[in-house]
Amino acid sequence: MANFNIDSKKARTYDAIVIGSGISGGWSAKELTEKGLKTLVLERGRDVQHITDYPTTNMMPWEFEHRERLPREITEANPIVSRCYNFKESSQHFFVKDNEHPYVQDAGRPFDWIRGYQVGGKSLLWARQTQRWSKYDFEGPARDKFAVEWPIGYDDIAPWYSYVEKFAGITGNKDGIDALPDGEFLPPHDLNCVEKYFKEQVAKQYKDRHIIIGRAAHITEPKQIHLDQGRAKCQHRVMCERGCPFGGYFSSNASTMPWAMKTGNMTLRPHSVVHSVIYDDKKQKVTGVRVVDANTKEMMEFYANIIFVNAAALNTNLILMNSISSRFPNGLGNDNGILGKYIAFHNYRATVSGEYEGFLDSTTDGKRPNSGYIPRFRNVHQQETDFLRGYAAGFGADRRTYNDRSGFGESLKENLAQSKYGNWSVGSHMMGETIPKESNYVALEKDLKDPFGIPQLKISVAYDDNDEKMIKDYMTQVSEMFEKAGFKNIRTHDNGRNPGNDIHEMGGVRMGKDPKTSLLNKWNQLHAAKNVFVTDGACMTSTATQNPSLTYMALSARAVDHAVKEMKAMNL
Amino acid sequence: MERRVALKNMAAAMGAMVVMPAWASGWNTKAVSAVGLLDAGKAETLALVVETIIPKTDTPGARELGVGGFVEKMVKDCYDAKAQAGLSAGLDAVEAISKKNFNKSYADLTKQQQLSLLEGIDKGSDADLKGFLGLVKNLTIQGYTSSEYVMTNITHYEMIPARYHGCVPVKK
Repeated sequence: MANFNIDSKKARTYDAIVIGSGISGGWSAKELTEKGLKTLVLERGRDVQHITDYPTTNMMPWEFEHRERLPREITEANPIVSRCYNFKESSQHFFVKDNEHPYVQDAGRPFDWIRGYQVGGKSLLWARQTQRWSKYDFEGPARDKFAVEWPIGYDDIAPWYSYVEKFAGITGNKDGIDALPDGEFLPPHDLNCVEKYFKEQVAKQYKDRHIIIGRAAHITEPKQIHLDQGRAKCQHRVMCERGCPFGGYFSSNASTMPWAMKTGNMTLRPHSVVHSVIYDDKKQKVTGVRVVDANTKEMMEFYANIIFVNAAALNTNLILMNSISSRFPNGLGNDNGILGKYIAFHNYRATVSGEYEGFLDSTTDGKRPNSGYIPRFRNVHQQETDFLRGYAAGFGADRRTYNDRSGFGESLKENLAQSKYGNWSVGSHMMGETIPKESNYVALEKDLKDPFGIPQLKISVAYDDNDEKMIKDYMTQVSEMFEKAGFKNIRTHDNGRNPGNDIHEMGGVRMGKDPKTSLLNKWNQLHAAKNVFVTDGACMTSTATQNPSLTYMALSARAVDHAVKEMKAMNL
Repeated sequence: MERRVALKNMAAAMGAMVVMPAWASGWNTKAVSAVGLLDAGKAETLALVVETIIPKTDTPGARELGVGGFVEKMVKDCYDAKAQAGLSAGLDAVEAISKKNFNKSYADLTKQQQLSLLEGIDKGSDADLKGFLGLVKNLTIQGYTSSEYVMTNITHYEMIPARYHGCVPVKK
């Protein structure tokens, strides 16, 4: 029996464990396995194999019996996930239904927690926008005196941005804007005539505002490294959330997971809900993780020298808070009591729309899985408004067609076959930085358990006055830019969406220089448990305005590089 | 005369050799339609209404493309009880108006009479009935324009464009 236990323990021991297989976990797994570490990847959901497990990917529009609308039975049972723009008939199987993983929202502080529990996580569903942070973003907290100073700056991460961009495949244009550094770009998508016109008008009117084509994780011209992954050029289907049979956009499923598997060093264990990270009080170090098998509900342990926690921002917080030992009675690494605090997100509440009556002899042809982008222009170099930080914005123009739908009978039928061109419609949506605050937090609701016997997460996050001021400024500024470009019927709209609906939740396990005021050091290691690394959204000290995934990729690759160097130097 | 009685009489007159359509026998037993929201008789009226909205010409009309079933399916699965009751009541009203104005079932009206009946509802003042027709019309247009036939043969849907050109001349 004793021998059996020893063998069993040995069989459950790896060089490294990665918790989660989404964007950051996929990168951690790829880097660890490429460097020769036997790596166990734990994924709480089911396996999703590239292509074969994309059940809707080649379905025609008429094959969806509700034409992408979801039945009331589903939307009424799942009000939270139903508020996600991407939750529809063709993609619903990649989203967590509300009752599959309950959580607690603080009274009057609704938070939409949107999750994807499967191999690949939300990398199948993301919006694929990938902008680098600039030095102004990393310098933000120190300059504006909120949160804590970032322990890294742009120069620390820039080579890692390059490293992950080359592998993932990022389309973009080298625009030379210091607030949004250029990257390793594949050829850019086109801006259309009205977007180019707006770009020119804005450049004439404002010296510091730019309209550029979005930077996105789409292969516009495959390089050998993409072909080696079995990925091909993006075919502009714009059905990304179904999973892409061409691997045209970056997902863990199409890219990092199969790459890691090919090394022979990865063991992937789906249906593995991580309960906690094991801190061995005798050895005074983290030795592994406890897992609840989602099918059998059996608790088991796995062991490794290095643990990467990539469970997605809030679940990473939950796991660490639930990792209790004599040494860490308040959660792993939580000597200062700030674990779970300083949660932030992106403010996506406002939009501006309008029409343009020019270029009526022109239209677009084909589809574009991307849009225009307005890099942050507020408070970049110094404080100039009554709110802190700023916002980036999406911008797009589209030549709409319509049909005369009046009447009944043969005339209606004829009209439905003849599309007419209207004016160009133009639209923009804000992506505002929010300020991490102690009062925006997550905590364990110890008396309420999830279906796996793990305490539910209580989320208490809300907008603040800074966010409200920023919404007003965005509406005013973008409306003014639209007016100056001669756009008509300009309308502003506050969509009132809840925090979390942006799906950019960040923080709770923030990086910092001082163990008294942060959880992670500049290498994403827990100050108090150096063989535990957090490289998903939980590590973020502040949010900037950029879509965050590219930064998680770069931080993951950088942290693995450091971990393996430290391991070889016998420091871990 | 009740329509089912008329049909039975007609069948009797023709020596009971008429094969009753499936929906008609279903109607007799008050069976529900294949979709399951409406009874078979109302589902038949709905199929006739969607055909009036988008009729067969040299290309198939809404009925042939199964749009009646689509409308019923959408209302059953995606709309609330009020809209479902409104669909049912609206189809009753169509029959009632038909009887009142033409002394015939909607099925037995000429195409022109069917058209003018719907136009009358559209121009009328009964808000519930207009709401019913608006819903059925919108869903009919959706079901028709997103049907395989129309997307393949008329609007030429491209699953895989493989391109985006930002500025091309409008085709005259």
